[in-house]
Amino acid sequence: MNKTPIEIFTPPNMLKAKLGGTVVGLDMAAIARAEAALESIKSEFADWIGTDVARLIECRDAFAAGPDSGGRGALYRTSHDLKGQALTYEFPLVARIAKSLCRLLEESEAAPLGLVDAHVDAVRVVVRDNVRDESNPTAVALAGELEARVTELLAE
Amino acid sequence: MSNYRFDRLRVLVVDDNQHMRKLVATILRGFGVVQLYEAASAEQAWAMLRESNPDVILLDCILEGMSGLELAQKIRTSPASPNPLVSIVMLTGDTHIDRVRQARDAGINEFLAKPVSVKGLLTRLSAVIENPRPFVRTAEYFGPCRRRRNYNEYQGPERRTKPAVSAGLVGSDAA
Repeated sequence: MNKTPIEIFTPPNMLKAKLGGTVVGLDMAAIARAEAALESIKSEFADWIGTDVARLIECRDAFAAGPDSGGRGALYRTSHDLKGQALTYEFPLVARIAKSLCRLLEESEAAPLGLVDAHVDAVRVVVRDNVRDESNPTAVALAGELEARVTELLAE
Repeated sequence: MSNYRFDRLRVLVVDDNQHMRKLVATILRGFGVVQLYEAASAEQAWAMLRESNPDVILLDCILEGMSGLELAQKIRTSPASPNPLVSIVMLTGDTHIDRVRQARDAGINEFLAKPVSVKGLLTRLSAVIENPRPFVRTAEYFGPCRRRRNYNEYQGPERRTKPAVSAGLVGSDAA
């Protein structure tokens, strides 16, 4: 066991002093204002996800160019962005497929290009066909199949 | 209601995705934040830390080059850091327990999972305003206390091993 002593100190709460406020739950008025602000930019989300998908395809091309291209990291970051944001953009199945792609890139030493392509194509088609319904049977089956293939590969 | 004077709050948003920055900035402006700074990389954020002097940093975990975890650790421990005590909220789409531990060991105050929601962001901001954690200095860690409760009860020797902050994420090619 390390015998180094620990030091614990509590800095003055300058943030509280600066911002004031009372501590009875969340400020519902602030939440309402922020929700309204978010609503006002919602019309841009379709363009945003379109840009992100285009970026995903670019990263896929860099990944396909070879392991030394730095494409794998860029592809992971872009799919990670989609995984985190697609739900906000109201494309839940894109988030699910991107999550599967992240898992493939993170846990598989040599992610097969074919399986990467299947994920990228699935994302592209879901956005192209504007599939926002989380229960769309074809898209759900596709997402499930991709997840199963990744699980299968990782189990090998 | 908490009615904070958010117009007095200085926030630095660090994310390499411009849409994410805009999304978070829109929510913050809705809260009433006006002193907003944005950085597209950890390197840029580090360079603008002194000038922007943020009260809170909203930091993406996965960044090209220096990762969010590395930046958090640098802010806490570098002799060149302008404010090692600044509040850091980490944003990430990955809520795996290992990631949470890495973030905790890098010295972040709060963790916010993507997709970012209005309520989630306000909750984390309220947490750093109302319940700031004590700071802990050991041979291998400096940052907010990594325990949720009973901060001052432990009086014994250091028990944690060296923080496992690394650039081992797939997303950090250059690190």
